[in-house]
Amino acid sequence: MRKKIFLALLFLLLFYAARAQTDSTRADSLLLLQIQNQLQQQASAPAAPARSAASANPDISAIGDFRINYTSNQKRNFNAELHEAEISLQSVVDPYARADFFISFSRNAETGEFGAEVEEGYLTTLSLPGHLQLKAGKFKQMLGKINSVHPHALFFVDMPNAYVRFFGEEGLNDEGISVSWLLPNHAFFQELTLELTDGPRDNPSFARSTENNYLRLVKLKNFWDLTSNATLELGLTGVSGANYSQHSTNIGAVDLTYKWKPVQFNTYKSFTFQNEFYFSRADYLDKTVKSIGWYSLINKQVSKRTFVTARYDYTNLPSSKQFVEQAASVTLGWYATEFQKIELQGKYTTANEEDELNNFKKNFSSVFLRWIFVIGTHGAHQY
Amino acid sequence: MKRKISLIIAAMAIMMTKVFAGTIHVVATTQDLKSIAEFIGGNKVDVFGIATGYQNPHFVDPKPSYIIKLSNADVFITVGLDLETGWSPPLLASSRNPKIQKGNAGYVDASIGVQLMQVPSSINRGEGDIHIYGNPHYWLDPLNGKQIARNICDGLERISPENKFFFEANLKTFNETIDTKLKTWNAQMAKYKGSKIIAYHNEWCYFENRFGLQVVDFLEPKPGIPPTPSQLVKIIGEVKDNHIKVIISSPYFTTSSSDVVAKQTGAKVLTLATSAGAFDSVKTYFDVFDYNIHQLTNALQ
Repeated sequence: MRKKIFLALLFLLLFYAARAQTDSTRADSLLLLQIQNQLQQQASAPAAPARSAASANPDISAIGDFRINYTSNQKRNFNAELHEAEISLQSVVDPYARADFFISFSRNAETGEFGAEVEEGYLTTLSLPGHLQLKAGKFKQMLGKINSVHPHALFFVDMPNAYVRFFGEEGLNDEGISVSWLLPNHAFFQELTLELTDGPRDNPSFARSTENNYLRLVKLKNFWDLTSNATLELGLTGVSGANYSQHSTNIGAVDLTYKWKPVQFNTYKSFTFQNEFYFSRADYLDKTVKSIGWYSLINKQVSKRTFVTARYDYTNLPSSKQFVEQAASVTLGWYATEFQKIELQGKYTTANEEDELNNFKKNFSSVFLRWIFVIGTHGAHQY
Repeated sequence: MKRKISLIIAAMAIMMTKVFAGTIHVVATTQDLKSIAEFIGGNKVDVFGIATGYQNPHFVDPKPSYIIKLSNADVFITVGLDLETGWSPPLLASSRNPKIQKGNAGYVDASIGVQLMQVPSSINRGEGDIHIYGNPHYWLDPLNGKQIARNICDGLERISPENKFFFEANLKTFNETIDTKLKTWNAQMAKYKGSKIIAYHNEWCYFENRFGLQVVDFLEPKPGIPPTPSQLVKIIGEVKDNHIKVIISSPYFTTSSSDVVAKQTGAKVLTLATSAGAFDSVKTYFDVFDYNIHQLTNALQ
C-alpha cells in the first residue's frame, strides 16, 4: 500500500516537473519570439525619433527694432537707436488658461539709460462657459485697430499722428481685466469686449484717477467674409475715464478695414485699405473740448517680398480743436523672411500752430529706416 | 388652436431630436484631413476644412470667421508638428471652446504614430524654414493616410463612443481601399522607379519615398527662400546632366522660375495636387494620388 502511494506521489511529482519543464520551454520560446519580433521590427522600421523640440519651456523669442531717423525740425538731424529689444514668453499655463509676457528693453527718454518694462503680461482663460474669455494683467487694450498690435507687426514705422496725439506713442496699455464674448451669430463674426482698467499713468487723453473713476472700454468687433479673397472689419469702441484735470474724457473710435488677399497666392499678393477715426469729448476745469483725429492708409503687396504703404494723418489735440496737424507718408517694406524686414518711410508734417512735440516747427519732414529681426519661436499675429 | 399647439410641439420635438441625435461637428485644418474624417465619420459628421486644397497650408490667414466654426466644434483635427504653427494656435485660443483645446478629448493630432522623415538634430534658421519635428507633409504617403485615419477614428470614438462600431467598420473599408489602390499606384509607378525629378519646395519626401522617385534638388535654394538666379543656373545644369524630364510644383507657387528652367532644358513643369481640393477633379484624399500618378506617368514616359 505504502509503495503504491509512494509510486503515485512520484508519478505526480514527475508529471508536475515535466509540465513545469514544458511551461518554461514555452515561456522561453515566447520570450525568444518576442525578441525576434522586436529585432525584426527594429530592422524593418526604426523606432520613432524623439520629437526634439518637446520641452516644458514656454515659447521664447527676442525681437530687435533698430532705427535710423532723420528729422528736419531738430538741430541734430540724424539719430541711430536700438528703439526696442523685446523678449516674449508665451505658453499654456494649465488646461484652463494661457499666459503671455512681453518684456521690452528701451532707452528712457529722460535719463538716456536702457531699462526694462513689462509691455504686456496677462493671463487668458481657455475654458470659461458661454463663449466668454477673460484676460487679466497688463495688456494692450482693444481700442480700434492698431492699438492691440505690436508696433513691429505694423506696415509703417511711426504711429499715426492722431493715435499719438490722443493716446501717446505707446497707446492704451493698462492694468486690469478684459472680458470678451463671442456673440452667437453664425452669419458673421461678432465679438463684444468690456475692459475695466486702473487708468493709464502717462497718456494725453486719460490719467489715473485719484477717485473711483476707472478706465472703461467697450468694443464691438464685426468681421465679414465678403468673398473667399476679401474681408471687411468694422470696429466700434467707446472709452471713458478721467483726464489729467480729474474730469472725464469720452472717446468714440471707429475702425474700418478692407482686405483683399487671394487664397491661392496669398503669399504673393494683397491689398489693404484701413481707416481709424477718433471722436473725443474732454471735460476740463473751465472748458469742454470736442476734437477729432483720423488716419487712412492703403497697403499694397507688389511682390512676394515687397510692400508699399501710403498714409494720410489728420488730427486735433484732446485739449484743442483749433490745433490741426496733417501728415502724408509713404513706406516701402522689404520682407526677407517671416523673421526679418526692412522698412523705409518718408513723411511730411504740417501744423497750423507751433507745438512742443514738433519742436515748435510748423512744417517739417522726416525719414525713418527700421530693421526688424526676430529669433526664437515667434508666435503668429492676428489677422 | 389645439391642433396648432400640437403641431408646434411636434415641430419642436423634431428639432430637439435633431439636436440631440447630434451630428458631430468637426473642423479640420486641411482638406485631406476633412476627406478622411468624412470617410470615417460618414453621415455622423459634418466637417469643415479651413485651408483650401490650393492654398499653402503654412500660410493660412487666421480670419476671425474661422473662430465661429471652432467655437461650435466637437472635434478639431490638425496635421500637427509645426505645419499650422503660424495660424492655428491663435484661432484655437480665441475659440473659447475647451473641448478642442490641446490635451482634451476633441483635439486630434493626426501625426501621432507617423514615422517622420527629415527630423533635424538641431535647428538653425540659416538653413531656411526648417521644421523642428521633421517634415510635416506626411499625408502624401498613402500608408500614412491609414495612421491619420486611425487617429481620426480614435478621436471620433472619444467624442461619440456609441458609434464605435460604425467608425471602426469605415476605418476597415478605408484601409482596404488604400491597400487595393496602393497596389495599382505602385504598379503604375513601377516602370519609373528611381526617376530623377526637381521640386519647387521640400514637401515631397514621403511621396518620393513611397513611389521610388528621386528628388535631385529644389528650386528654392533653402526651404521658404524664393528661387535665386544662381539657384536656377545650378538647377538647369542638374536637369541637363541627369536628363531630368519633370519639375514638380504646387498650386500655391508661381511657376515663373520653373518655366525658366523648362524653357532652357525642355523639362516639363507639373503642378501636382498637394491636397484634396487642389483641382476640381481632385475631390478626395484618394484622388490626390490618382491625379498625381496619372500626371507623373504621362510626363515621365
